[in-house]
Amino acid sequence: MDIKDLKVLVCDDSILSRKKLKDCIISLGCANVLEAADGEEAIAQYDSNRPNIVFMDIVMPKKDGIEALKGILEIDPKATIIMASSVGTQSYLKDAIKAGASDFLQKPIDNKQVKKFIDSFCSKGGV
Amino acid sequence: MFTQFFGNFLLNEKLVTPEQLVDALQQKKETRMKLGVLAINAGYMTASQVERVHELQSKMDKRIGDIAVELGYMTEDQVMELLHAQPLGYLLLGQTMVDKGYLDNAQFENAINAYKEKYSLTDEDIANNEDSKVESLITSLVDFSKTSHPALYEQFVSLLMNNLVRFVGDDFTPLEPEYEIKSTSFKSTMQGIKGEFEKETRIFADEAELIQFACRYSGEDITELDEYAEASGQDFINLHNGLFTVNVSNEEQIELQLTPPTPLAELTPNEVSNCLILPFQFPFGTIRFSISL
Repeated sequence: MDIKDLKVLVCDDSILSRKKLKDCIISLGCANVLEAADGEEAIAQYDSNRPNIVFMDIVMPKKDGIEALKGILEIDPKATIIMASSVGTQSYLKDAIKAGASDFLQKPIDNKQVKKFIDSFCSKGGV
Repeated sequence: MFTQFFGNFLLNEKLVTPEQLVDALQQKKETRMKLGVLAINAGYMTASQVERVHELQSKMDKRIGDIAVELGYMTEDQVMELLHAQPLGYLLLGQTMVDKGYLDNAQFENAINAYKEKYSLTDEDIANNEDSKVESLITSLVDFSKTSHPALYEQFVSLLMNNLVRFVGDDFTPLEPEYEIKSTSFKSTMQGIKGEFEKETRIFADEAELIQFACRYSGEDITELDEYAEASGQDFINLHNGLFTVNVSNEEQIELQLTPPTPLAELTPNEVSNCLILPFQFPFGTIRFSISL
């Protein structure tokens, strides 16, 4: 898949975190980046736009990232969702992986890691 | 961390005023290390020997190092060693104080020796940022013994300082902890820690300081208290608390959770009445963090 055709959803309650991640993804050549500011919005965005990759924060208002992860996987069990959070504790990691997250990024986010995920998705169709 | 604590030491010993400290923090970037201060720090020359060398240099066209060698104060090897060593941060602060005339050579000599003696520091500890020594600096700043979980509070404070260095800048001085505030002009963001160590944590400051903090943290050009400024405080505290919960999970096997940071709002003094408050002096002003006791 060409990176130009990739659709990515960035879900984080912080406008600054969203901007940083969005800037990084756009700099890689992906023009189609959607945003959601809480877990409920993430599920709604996923449902109507079907992005190829979702980057999902965990600590968020309304629905947290783990609940949103479950909600999206109910809609589409094949969704590729990468958790991107500051709380990479044993139990949050376990919850995320158990619920079906594809991978986990510890904040502060390393742009090289983001590139690795996106490159690998574009070449293999998965992270 | 030794740089940050050297500023705190100078303040506490009343060797410099808060205004001089802020000024030196602002000027530090432009400072270039000079041989005299390096030699005093290494114990190769005394302050009076440095004065003598400077006096002679003003009368003859020779380099400081050559004069010191001629007078038998230092060997050539020592001069080379000092000139090639990586400058230590706290020395830059000291050099700035000397350049500005806030400390003379003798006062700097006394201060640096007293600082090292008080915390049993060697230059090697300082260059390696020796963990155990940093710990003793932090426990001398904050009395954790009266808290419910001394080890966790200590970890919280130590990580906070490291995160400030990592994400905001190393040009700060930790000021003495406070247990109450009087100002009603602060704006704050709160994030709750849930679980076995249930606490309220906050970042707060006056508007102008929060904007400056946001510029530093975000790397964006922020000029007013807009949503990016608000998000910067929220992001920093969320990042710090997140890394704290990760450390506690890995090292103490304690699983903690976080609540989303609250919107920025005016802080009333009673919201932090039973808290450990840590003020950090940056060149642009003071930023405070609190954690409930």
